[in-house]
Amino acid sequence: MSARVRRSWLVVPMSKSEEIVRASRSTADVIVLDLVEFVAEEDKPAARERVEAAIRTAQAGGAEVFAQVDPELLVADLLACAWPGLTGVIVSQLESAQQVADVDGLLAELEAKRGILPGTLEIVAALETARGNHAAYDIGRASPRIRGLTLGRADLIMDLRPEPSGEIHLMPYLMQRLIAVARALGVTPLGAWWRAPARGLLAGPDDTYHAARRGRAIGFTGSLCIDVNQVEPLNRGFTPDDAEAAAATELMTAYRAGVARGVALVEQGDRLVDRGAAAQARALLDRAAACEARAREKAEMAARPPLVRP
Amino acid sequence: MAAHQVRRSGLTMPVVTRRFVDHAWRRGCDFINLDLEDSVPQHLKAHARGLIKDAIPVVRKGGAEAFTRINHDYVHADLEAIVWPGLSKVNYPKAESAEEIRLLDDVITRLERERGIRPGTVEIGANIETATGVAAAYDIALASPRVKEFGGGTGYDMSRDLGVEMFVGFEQFAYGKGELELAARALGLQVRAAPFVANTTGSVSDADRALREAQAARKCGFRLGGGLNPAVVEPQNRGFTPTAEEVEDARWVLERHRELAGTGDTWIVIDGRVIDRYEAARARDTLEWAALCTERDREKAEAVLRTRAAMAEPTPPTLA
Amino acid sequence: MAILVRRSNLLAPITDTARVKQAWQSDADAITLDLEDGVVETRKAEARGLVKEAIALAGQGGAEVFVRVNAALLHADLEASMWPGLRGIMLPRVASAAEVAEAVEQMTALERRRGLAAGALELIVLLESARAVWDIRSIITANPRITQVGLDESDLACDLGITPLPEHDPYVYARGRLVIEATAAKVQPIGITYPLGVHPRRVSAAEIHRMATDARNLGLKGVLCPDPSWVAPVNAAFTPTAELVAHNKRVREVFAGAVAAGTAAVPLDGRMIDVPVDEWAKVVLAMADACDARDAQKHAPRAGS
Repeated sequence: MSARVRRSWLVVPMSKSEEIVRASRSTADVIVLDLVEFVAEEDKPAARERVEAAIRTAQAGGAEVFAQVDPELLVADLLACAWPGLTGVIVSQLESAQQVADVDGLLAELEAKRGILPGTLEIVAALETARGNHAAYDIGRASPRIRGLTLGRADLIMDLRPEPSGEIHLMPYLMQRLIAVARALGVTPLGAWWRAPARGLLAGPDDTYHAARRGRAIGFTGSLCIDVNQVEPLNRGFTPDDAEAAAATELMTAYRAGVARGVALVEQGDRLVDRGAAAQARALLDRAAACEARAREKAEMAARPPLVRP
Repeated sequence: MAAHQVRRSGLTMPVVTRRFVDHAWRRGCDFINLDLEDSVPQHLKAHARGLIKDAIPVVRKGGAEAFTRINHDYVHADLEAIVWPGLSKVNYPKAESAEEIRLLDDVITRLERERGIRPGTVEIGANIETATGVAAAYDIALASPRVKEFGGGTGYDMSRDLGVEMFVGFEQFAYGKGELELAARALGLQVRAAPFVANTTGSVSDADRALREAQAARKCGFRLGGGLNPAVVEPQNRGFTPTAEEVEDARWVLERHRELAGTGDTWIVIDGRVIDRYEAARARDTLEWAALCTERDREKAEAVLRTRAAMAEPTPPTLA
Repeated sequence: MAILVRRSNLLAPITDTARVKQAWQSDADAITLDLEDGVVETRKAEARGLVKEAIALAGQGGAEVFVRVNAALLHADLEASMWPGLRGIMLPRVASAAEVAEAVEQMTALERRRGLAAGALELIVLLESARAVWDIRSIITANPRITQVGLDESDLACDLGITPLPEHDPYVYARGRLVIEATAAKVQPIGITYPLGVHPRRVSAAEIHRMATDARNLGLKGVLCPDPSWVAPVNAAFTPTAELVAHNKRVREVFAGAVAAGTAAVPLDGRMIDVPVDEWAKVVLAMADACDARDAQKHAPRAGS
C-alpha cells in the first residue's frame, strides 16, 4: 500500500459537479472530493447527497478517490462518503489521537454496513494547526488506517505568511518535521505548500512543477492541488526523469563493477560511490518503474467501458 | 488582547546605570527590561537588587511596562527584590526545565499575595538559551499560566552552548526556533519569532536594519520587539504598527469577503488577489492590532504629558 | 570536563591494505577501520581476520582507532575487533536504545574475557532512519560509552524517501535535532554540511574547509572523512587559528580590566565586550588549548607501539 503511486491529489469541491467530471478526465493519481474547505455551509447537505455518484464519476479515469471530511461534522460527512469505490478519507484539521479513534470506529461500522472489505478504508491525517502538528506522532500511530500525513492548508489555517526570502514562514520546518514523523511511523508524507505569492495549494503550472521537484528533494512523493492545470506538473515533478534514471543506472553499473572486483568504494568522477549511493540509485529506479506501471494502469482504466449499475 | 500587551519595542538596561534608568521614560518604549543579569557586573549584583523597587515607577513614567531580567542562579534573592507593584514581567534566562518555572511561579505567587499585587499579574518570560532548554521546550512553556509568550532559541548564550560563532550569514538555529515556535502556537501563547534575515555584523544600533526586521516580522504576523540600543526603539514602534494604507486595505478585504456570502463560493479572485475567509481573518487581525497600537500610543503619550507637567517641563511643540 | 578533540575521523576500508597502512600519515585525530560499507559482502569474513594487525598499523601516528562493525554481524565483528589499542566501536544503523544495550553487553563481556579495562571502549553511533532520528534521545542516553553521534545521510535518504538535490537540504530538521539532542545529552554531534554528507566527493581543500567551517557553526564537533584528502582541511576548520586565539586573549584581558574598574562592558575595536563576549572568548581559548594538546600528543615521538 505504501508503494502506491500518488503524485497528484486533485481536490474538488463536492458542490461543483462539473469540476468532478473535469477532474476525472485529468491524469490525477488521486481525486479528493471535498466537503470542508470549498463547500459553503449552506450547500453541504446537498453536496453530501451527491458523493456516492461522484465517486464513480471520479474513478472513471483511473484515479483513486478520497473524500475530505470535517472532524466536527464527522458522522454526517462519513455517512455521505464511505461507499464502495472510495479508497479513504482526508480528515482536515486533525488535532488528537482521540479524533482518529472516532474516525476509525465510524469507518469500521460503515465498512460492515456497506459491504466494504473491513479495515481497507484509509485515513490521511491533515495536520493543519499547531496542536495537530505538535501531536503528529501520537496522531499518526493512533490507527493502522492512517497511511499518510499532510500539512494540507496549514499555511492558511495557521496564518503562516511569506518571508522576505519567499519562503512561507515555518513551513520548511513543519514539512521536514512531518516527513520525519511520517517515515518514523512508516506512513507516507503528502506535500502541500507553495512559496509566495502562491498560497493554499494553488499555484501556476511552472511553480507547481518546481514545488514538486523541491518536494521530492526533501522526501515527499506526492502533493495536494486545487486546479486541474496543476495535475500534470505534479505528476511530472514527482516522477524521476530520463536523465536521473540514466545517471542512476550508470552509478549502479559502476558500483556493481567495483563489487565484482572485490571493492566496495568506487569513484565516479569526483564522487565517492558506496553501498549507500547505490541504494539511493536503486530506490530511484524502482520509483521510475512504479510510475510507469501507474501510467499504464490509468490508461487501461480509462479505456474500459464505464461500469453499469445493476 | 489587553492594551498592555502591545510590546513592539523595549530596552534591556543595567539597573545600576543611573542615567539609563532615569532617562528610560523618554525613549518611547513599550517596555523597559531592568537587568540584574549579564549587563550587571558580578560584584554589583547585590547592590543592583536594592535598586529595582524604586526604579520600577521611574521607568514607567512614559507609559512603559516594567520588566526585570533576573539571574538564573539567584532566583530567590532576585525575586524578593523585584516583585513589587508595577512590575509586569520577570524574564528568566537559560530556562531548562518545567520544574524551574514552577518554582518561579510559586515564589511569585507568594510575593504577590504578601505585597498586595493582584494574583497572576506578574508574567514569566521563560528564555530558552541552551540545547537542554530546547529539548524541554514544550514542557517549559506549559509549566505555568504566567508564561504568556514563548519563542527564541537564538542569541549569544545559545551560540555559546552549541559552540558556534554568530553572524555567519546563514540560519544556524532552525531546529530550536521551529520547536519553540511550534510549542508557542500549540499552546496558544504569543509567539516570539521573526523571519530569518542574514546578519553578518551583529550591530545593535542599526536603525534601518531594525525597521526592516520589524516590518518583515510584522508581515509574518509577529509583534514582539526589544533591543539594547535606543536607536532601534522608534524603528520598532513604526515597523510593528500597521500603516494607514494597510488598515484601509484590511477594510477593503473585509468588504469583499462579506460580498461572498450567499454566492455558493468560498473564495474569489479580484485583480489577481485571492479573497477568502483566511484573508478576511488576517484583515480582522490587522484592524484589531492597529486599534491596540493606537490605544497604546495614546496611553504612552498621556503618560509623557503627565510626567512633563509634574516636572514642569515645557511640552515640545509636536509630540509624535 | 576535558574537551574531546576528535575533529577528523578517517574511514579506511580494512580490505584496502594500502589505505590502512597510510592512514596514520593523514594526521587524522581518529581512524575507523571499516568492516561495513567499505567491504563487499563476500570479503567480510576475510576482513575480520585483518583487524587485529590493522589496529596497530593505524594507531602508529597517535590517532584513536575505531572499528565500524556490521549491525547484522555484531557478535562476529566485535570478537574480531576488540583488542588492545582499540579506542572504540562505531555502531551503524542504530534504531533503538535496546540495540545499544545489546552491543554494550557484548562489549562488556569481551572486555572481561580479554583483560581490557572494563567500560573503557567508547561508542560512536550512526543513525540511518527517521525512527532513529525521532527516538534519538533514548538512543544516545542509553549508555555512557556513547561519546559521538552522527547521521548516515545516504541510508537516511532511502529511509526518508528523498531524491537529494544539492540545492535543497532535506536534513535541516534531522541535523538540527541531532545537534540539540546530542548537545543536551553531552554527546558530540558529528557530520558535515549538505550535500557533502549524502554525496561525498573528492574536492578542493578550500571547499572542504569551507563546508567543515559551516558544519562547526551549526554545532557539529567533527567530521567522518571518507577520503584522506578531507583530513587536513577538516582539522584546520575545527581548530582556532593563531589570529583568533590572540584576539580572544586580548578580549579576556580587556574585559578583566573593565570588571576591575567596576563596569560590565568596554569597547574594543568597534565592538562592545561584555559578559557574553568574554564567555565566548573562554570557549575559543579552551578549544585552542585542547587542540594544541591533541596535536602535541599525535606528534610526540612514539615510545614502543
